[in-house]
Amino acid sequence: MVQLDDQQLKSLLAEEKTQRQGFDLMVRQYSEQLYWQIRRIVLVHEDADDVLQNTFIKAWNGLSGFHGDSKLITWLSRIAINESLDFMRRQKNVATISADDVESGVANQLMADDYFDGDSTEAQLQEAIAKLPEVQRTVFNLRYFDELKYSEISTILGTSEGALKASYHLAVKKITEFFKHRD
Amino acid sequence: MMNEEQYLRSQMGTKNPFRVPEGYFDNFASQLMAKLPEKPCADGAGAERVPVIRHTALVMRLRPLLYAAACLLIAVMSVTVYLNRPGLDVHEQTAAVAAQDPSLSDTYFEEATDYAMIDNYDIYACLASE
Repeated sequence: MVQLDDQQLKSLLAEEKTQRQGFDLMVRQYSEQLYWQIRRIVLVHEDADDVLQNTFIKAWNGLSGFHGDSKLITWLSRIAINESLDFMRRQKNVATISADDVESGVANQLMADDYFDGDSTEAQLQEAIAKLPEVQRTVFNLRYFDELKYSEISTILGTSEGALKASYHLAVKKITEFFKHRD
Repeated sequence: MMNEEQYLRSQMGTKNPFRVPEGYFDNFASQLMAKLPEKPCADGAGAERVPVIRHTALVMRLRPLLYAAACLLIAVMSVTVYLNRPGLDVHEQTAAVAAQDPSLSDTYFEEATDYAMIDNYDIYACLASE
């Protein structure tokens, strides 16, 4: 697959005649990266697939609102994370069991998931992450797994780097304690 | 924090335990494009919106200040109610409070007199009459 740089994609998206072609290339180029950002929040493949589709549909309908000030991946990541968090909030609201039960059942749900290849320890790690507040959870995923710089995360989330570092520090501390407590 | 992060990485690593159905990413783009309308709907749904996280963080930062302001308000109202209780002459209020607790600061007296609506002349007159 041919990789285009940001400027080339933006040029294609800016013209009505090439807009659809440019969007198709953008989807092919960034869908996998966005999928994993989404999946680490929603955990289940089918849900991640839905959220990813909604992300790109919103991006398509919101092309006129994209002013080109930021990188395309930054813009798309914002939409993806918004959609993921909205999805999790809706899921919590309609859950028939309490929120605590939902989070503590994460490890068991993952172990029964066909699209989860981790062992019980990795499932417990995901459970620990699921228990974090939204801010810490998002920052932890982007920093620990995606290894994004704080400056990049700051651009995506619109939060200061200092606040992000504090959130990450708290998240690491909580997850470490979670495992030490279990040991 | 580095030790804790190192502990996590040594125990967990960064291996991705999730997987996708075979061919998922190869087919995703074409399936998505088939669902998209011919032209963008231009409803602003994709407009750059900072995640709600930022607003939540702002509220979290202001919360301690709001708590402090609420506590100060309650304290001032309590003093006002106490100083305006029935049977206590307004000119004796300040002296009564000072007699009870000599360690009260000037700031306290200034606030108390403001709420009792007495000025310095009244205070001098009260002290001179004793």
